[in-house]
Amino acid sequence: MEKIFIICVEDQREVLNAVLKDLESFEAVFFLEGCESADEAEELLDEIDAGGNYIGLLICDHIMPGKSGIELLIEVNRDPRFSYTKKLLLTGLATHQDTINAINSAAIDRYIEKPWNVDALQAQVRTLLAQFIFDQGIAYEKYLPYLDQGVVLERVRKGG
Amino acid sequence: MKPRKKLLAFIKPGIATLIPLLIFMAPAEVSGIPGISPVEQRVLALFALAALFWILEPIPIFATSVLIIVLSLMMISDAGLRFLRQDETGQPYSNLLDYREIMATFASPVILLFLGGFFLAMAAVKFRLDQSLAAVLLRPFGQKPKWLLLGIMIITAGFSMFMSNTATTAMMLTVLAPVLPFFEPGDRGRAAFALGVPFAANIGGVGTPIGTPPNAIALQYLSGEHAIGFGQWMSFGVPFVIILLLGAWALLLALFPVRTPSIMLTFKTRFLRTPKAYIVYGTFVLTVLLWLTDFWHGMNAYVVSMIPVAVFLSAGIIGKEDLKGMSWDVLWLVAGGIALGLALEKSGLAERLVALIPFSDWSAWTVLIVSAFAGLVMANFMSNTGTANLLLPIIAAMGASGLLLDSVGGTAGLILGVTLSVSLGMALPISTPPNALAHATGEINTRDMARAGISVGLIGLVIALVLIEILNLVGFF
Repeated sequence: MEKIFIICVEDQREVLNAVLKDLESFEAVFFLEGCESADEAEELLDEIDAGGNYIGLLICDHIMPGKSGIELLIEVNRDPRFSYTKKLLLTGLATHQDTINAINSAAIDRYIEKPWNVDALQAQVRTLLAQFIFDQGIAYEKYLPYLDQGVVLERVRKGG
Repeated sequence: MKPRKKLLAFIKPGIATLIPLLIFMAPAEVSGIPGISPVEQRVLALFALAALFWILEPIPIFATSVLIIVLSLMMISDAGLRFLRQDETGQPYSNLLDYREIMATFASPVILLFLGGFFLAMAAVKFRLDQSLAAVLLRPFGQKPKWLLLGIMIITAGFSMFMSNTATTAMMLTVLAPVLPFFEPGDRGRAAFALGVPFAANIGGVGTPIGTPPNAIALQYLSGEHAIGFGQWMSFGVPFVIILLLGAWALLLALFPVRTPSIMLTFKTRFLRTPKAYIVYGTFVLTVLLWLTDFWHGMNAYVVSMIPVAVFLSAGIIGKEDLKGMSWDVLWLVAGGIALGLALEKSGLAERLVALIPFSDWSAWTVLIVSAFAGLVMANFMSNTGTANLLLPIIAAMGASGLLLDSVGGTAGLILGVTLSVSLGMALPISTPPNALAHATGEINTRDMARAGISVGLIGLVIALVLIEILNLVGFF
């Protein structure tokens, strides 16, 4: 059975821990990993892909030492191995131009501003994971309690 | 993953493969079945494999079906492995199956009947006929919760006669989900609504031959003199659905009284008025009419079911991508069941097993009640189709074995009784996909579902038995 990973990239340790804590309920069926830099994230992405597993969702901060979050997201977006991965930008410090790049070049699926609301973040994660699972044709039953009901019902109605 | 979980991950497939393998390898005397031939012994191993795989689900249930077909081709067909086709003296076995017959299960008439049903359902969903029709049909039921619940259940059941139970549930829950949070706080009536939809969908599947896959498997065994037409099936299926639906409605209202005074459902859809949409509406009506008038035009249900396939593909209503999105898994799940039945029957094993069990001391009613109850219990814990796949070949063999079954309508009565009962398993979230979807709304707990589901299942079982008695009395069989 392939594993589905949720990866959070955030250079500030305490912020990263906060994100991971807010999403820990998803760990019942998903695999949650944190990275402190874009380079570390890229290594992890390679590793997960090589292991035959999925990166369902990439949650990324923007301003980080070294490669920025949006640069990472653009690279992931261009990488055919991760064409299915849902991308969420979680930042408080993106300029107008950054935002344009994030949408046009990185094709992000969601943009959430810091400080974030826990319920809103979890709701977006549920929606993105549900879309990912149905896009990939993965059997949804096991993940059902952690997916957005609206997305599930609409996809099941269409899929018979 | 924890080590305990890892260990469990090996236990299931381990048991499920080891037991059939032991049956396959054991010397014939060990089985305790007198006179069993090598081919029959292999079918016994296959049957054990099917049962264990469908119950424990180490792999998806449709994969099990395909596995059965492939193993049948390799081990018990006349085009299988050379050393399995002949005994020690080089003499070929007489009870090997024709490989073409096994492969043909993928395209057997009941499979194509279902494919026709899938085309109708997919076109209806694509052109939003399901939503727009539901909106129109729900209007007369008003906003009083009691009647609205009845309306929702009737429409869900009606739709699930032609669409999959799962898709129907998803469609109705989409409509219902936005209003459930606005019930008065602490109102138990929420559970009545959240349970009403999956229950109605499960029950509605009984209404027509294409309502749910177990019906297809039943039709497979109701051939020749027992053959039942589409209209004939509906003549008892629909009354059964109506009576059980009213019972379930009353039960849900009694268990979970609704206090919220009025509920407003909103639909955003309107009937599409494009030429393609009209083709969909027209073809839908025409197909159903043709299904019901087979006595007049002479085309049976199987032939009629191919008409929407041709129309929708020609008119570009179902395209290449839609075709890929068909529920082939359901069709192959049924095909595997048919292949298993074929192996049991053609090898002679079914007959031998039935002769072995002392059914002859049992009255026909005991046989019916026991097998229907077994079907109900199994269907609560595993897939309804899997249950039908396992039980119906054995049931059909009982009928063929010369047991005196006249008092329950013969083989046909027994098959129908069991088929109806496997659709009544709805006590747990895992019982059926509609139950799982409803449970995931978070509006019902497992205990409430079990309480209501067990009651509806048992009431349904009684109604099914009464129905078989009535059908027998009026000479239906």
